Amino acid sequence: MTTAVESVHWALAEIVGEARVVSEPTACAARAVAGRVPRHIVDTPTAESVAAVLKFASDHDLAVIPHGNGTKLALGCPPSRYDLALSLKDLNPVRHYEPADLTISVEAGMKLGDLQDFLGRDGLWLPLDPRGGANATIGGILATNSAGPLRLRFGSARDMVLGIKVATTEGKLIKSGGRVVKNVAGYDLCKLLVGSYGTLGVIVEASLKLFPRPASRATWVLEPGTLGLARDLRRRILDSPLEPLRMALLNAEASGLLWNGPHSGDALGVELWIEAGGTPSILERHAKDLAEMGRSVGVRSRLVSGQAAENCWFRFINFEQLFADSFPEVLVLKASLPLASSEQFLSLAQQGAEGEKVKMACFAQVGISIVHLGLWGDSLGEVADRLVTITRKAAESLGGALVVEQYPNGFNGERDVWGAPGDSLETMRRLKAAWDPKGVLSPGRFVGGI
Amino acid sequence: MKLTALVRELERILGREAVLWGPDDLMLYEYDGLSALHPPDVVVFPRTTVEVVQIVKFAASQKLLVVPRGAGTGLSGGSIPWQGGILIAFARMKDILEIDLENQRARVQPGVVNLDLSLAVSDAGYYYAPDPSSQKACTLGGNVAENAGGPHTLLHGVTTNHVLGLEVVLPSGEVIHTGGEFWDVPGYDLTGLLVGSEGTLGIVTEITVRLMRKAESVATLLAVYDRIIDATRTVAAITARGITPAALEMIDGFTLRAIEEATHAGYPMDSAAVLLIEVEGLKEAVEENALHIESVCKENRARHVRRAKSAEERDLLWKGRKNAFGALGRISPSYYVQDGVIPRTRLPEMLEFIGQIGTKYGVKIGNIFHAGDGNLHPIILFDPRDEDESRRVREAAAEILTKCIDMGGSITGEHGVGIEKINLMPFLFSADDLDVMRKIKGVFNSEGRFNPGKVLPTGKMCGELRASVSPGGVL
Repeated sequence: MTTAVESVHWALAEIVGEARVVSEPTACAARAVAGRVPRHIVDTPTAESVAAVLKFASDHDLAVIPHGNGTKLALGCPPSRYDLALSLKDLNPVRHYEPADLTISVEAGMKLGDLQDFLGRDGLWLPLDPRGGANATIGGILATNSAGPLRLRFGSARDMVLGIKVATTEGKLIKSGGRVVKNVAGYDLCKLLVGSYGTLGVIVEASLKLFPRPASRATWVLEPGTLGLARDLRRRILDSPLEPLRMALLNAEASGLLWNGPHSGDALGVELWIEAGGTPSILERHAKDLAEMGRSVGVRSRLVSGQAAENCWFRFINFEQLFADSFPEVLVLKASLPLASSEQFLSLAQQGAEGEKVKMACFAQVGISIVHLGLWGDSLGEVADRLVTITRKAAESLGGALVVEQYPNGFNGERDVWGAPGDSLETMRRLKAAWDPKGVLSPGRFVGGI
Repeated sequence: MKLTALVRELERILGREAVLWGPDDLMLYEYDGLSALHPPDVVVFPRTTVEVVQIVKFAASQKLLVVPRGAGTGLSGGSIPWQGGILIAFARMKDILEIDLENQRARVQPGVVNLDLSLAVSDAGYYYAPDPSSQKACTLGGNVAENAGGPHTLLHGVTTNHVLGLEVVLPSGEVIHTGGEFWDVPGYDLTGLLVGSEGTLGIVTEITVRLMRKAESVATLLAVYDRIIDATRTVAAITARGITPAALEMIDGFTLRAIEEATHAGYPMDSAAVLLIEVEGLKEAVEENALHIESVCKENRARHVRRAKSAEERDLLWKGRKNAFGALGRISPSYYVQDGVIPRTRLPEMLEFIGQIGTKYGVKIGNIFHAGDGNLHPIILFDPRDEDESRRVREAAAEILTKCIDMGGSITGEHGVGIEKINLMPFLFSADDLDVMRKIKGVFNSEGRFNPGKVLPTGKMCGELRASVSPGGVL
């Protein structure tokens, strides 16, 4: 260790204890973000120590990237600098729980799976199905406002947060909101911090709104075959009284990957999945209505239930794993669109992919119009740039936006992860400066270089 | 700047018919739902964002204060021009700009009345979910400023859960657009920060909201109780069964007798409390839940449970609920509505406490509130001409809100901090919490000219205020 690295190491050890600071280059390499290796890893034991580490980092101009279990650490631009990997996984106790109030307060490192197990005893859950599944931490989910297809029915993390405690670069612990389900006292900093990708402060604790777990769940798979028919069916379902928990649209390549496994390479047909939850009579009603809607356009529906259904949804949500298992290089894109535009976007994106001679799998959360695309092919590295431009233009022409979630490893061009910021960028920059005047929190990773 | 010069310049920008400055006219703008009185220097009625920008830029050049106002139904004094200045009234920016049912959204000007939006999409089977009791009058711009709630937000969430995007004029006159027509717009969630910021960060000139499809089936139940405590116990018992009603309201006997005399909603005159419970969704779910709820009510000693048999009966039950404040106005010269929130499991204890406070201070307190989410609305009746009674009301109110804070709750669930509760903020938030909020305010409104004297106590005030609890110091 150089003298500078050594002195930081011991100063951090002073705050969190010697056993909680690692500065060995090989160990640090394991926490690299976009190829950038931090100089130290700090495992904070308490909220107070997070605040103290942030103050130290700010005072000494050390760049910090906070993380929980690392399931979403790859999202965002490569950091412009990176000194400390701040691990929050040890901040995991339940601070307050009252099942009859349907609220819970937990620290940021609590894993979603552990939380669901804990709540399951009382028939409750936090209805979120983010990427990373059970391994995702509450802090990471909130920092990225990560939501899956359950958002259709329950909203995203943003809608479930009642209050947060945040460590600031000034070394303070501040709170916003509270533990009650309705609260308009003061500015809603929860909204500002949720989805801020660790660039303003570090969420160390959150109070969350809970929901009763549906008595049982079932998934129906419809095979409309074409995008046009998929759109008609999706419209009819959303315009019906049915209340699905989740909906998904997979193009032929996506359903092939999902059902046949990574190595078969066989495409299947376009599929529409619908999950419902509730008592037997509610599930029967969904079965009946969905079968009727399908029949009227000559599409059959089949039921998938129990663990098999859960596995399908898990693979759908964690689709990048399918890619990682299948292809050496992949470009992953996320389009957010007005509600009714998923299918139109898909056909535009498909044309773009064909034009560049690459394959495209689409995992779309229809009903909320969040569309994930994975693209692969021999010349991916060279055409990735153009693919981003084409699909981004398609999304924007429909009134949406496109974010790059993963560039191919070999990509050397200029990265435009977030797209062009709107007219509120200056306000965002001023907010960033108010929270983090030295620019030490996840520098360069967010919109507009924030 | 002299008033005549100010008026002349504003008339040049907006035309003569869009500016009010006579003392008689200004009197109408010196109060809202909170009975605090202070007139603006001038009232303006812009029609477009461009006109709002011109007004704001002019105000910036002259360092004038600016206060926005919707319909003036707010209960915390958010639209009162407490220190004078230009009051921007949104009565003429009341167009629904776009309704897009396929994308389940609408784009509106801030002066659109809440209920008018729901009515505009009702025939197509849609509605706008947040429904404050004042929805026949209150505007969506005001709803956004206050993050308004309403009885049906228990299932569907409050204003912030239904606003997708905003057009905002900053104090410099700069216009920004936040959010959009879809989820996960890249960048900070400025929409979420601005909703509920009470006009202290920017002035909203356009709102994109989510529309919802009306449920297939609705059941409205009225459970009648001989003891308040049994009604309050029922609330947590319903959620414990895994049922989230669309609305779960409680009205105590005193209040419902006042309502019944005014509205003839069909409420029982001799009960101690009623719960007004609504479930919605698929007809199968509604039938099952209605039966469950009926049995939970009976297990908790409801005298009887009645289910509305027709849409008319349902409307009448809700009319009674939504006209409650007006009904109380018939029996008292004035009243003070509170908005504290507590965990719903603490309701039995809290209602008993409120009863004791009424006795202790010799004031009459009615209770009508959103029981399902623990959002209390104790209504303290008083005569403002009686100084001693007014003092007792203030003290009683302070004790109730302090109890809310002690129970882990909040001082306001949907009415906002405004002027009314500004003194209580240091009890709910630490100096560090408030300091961060001030920094955020500084980012948007560094000169403090937009809606001054609201939400955040000034730094100096904190110490003094900690010493004297005095909510509604401006009763």
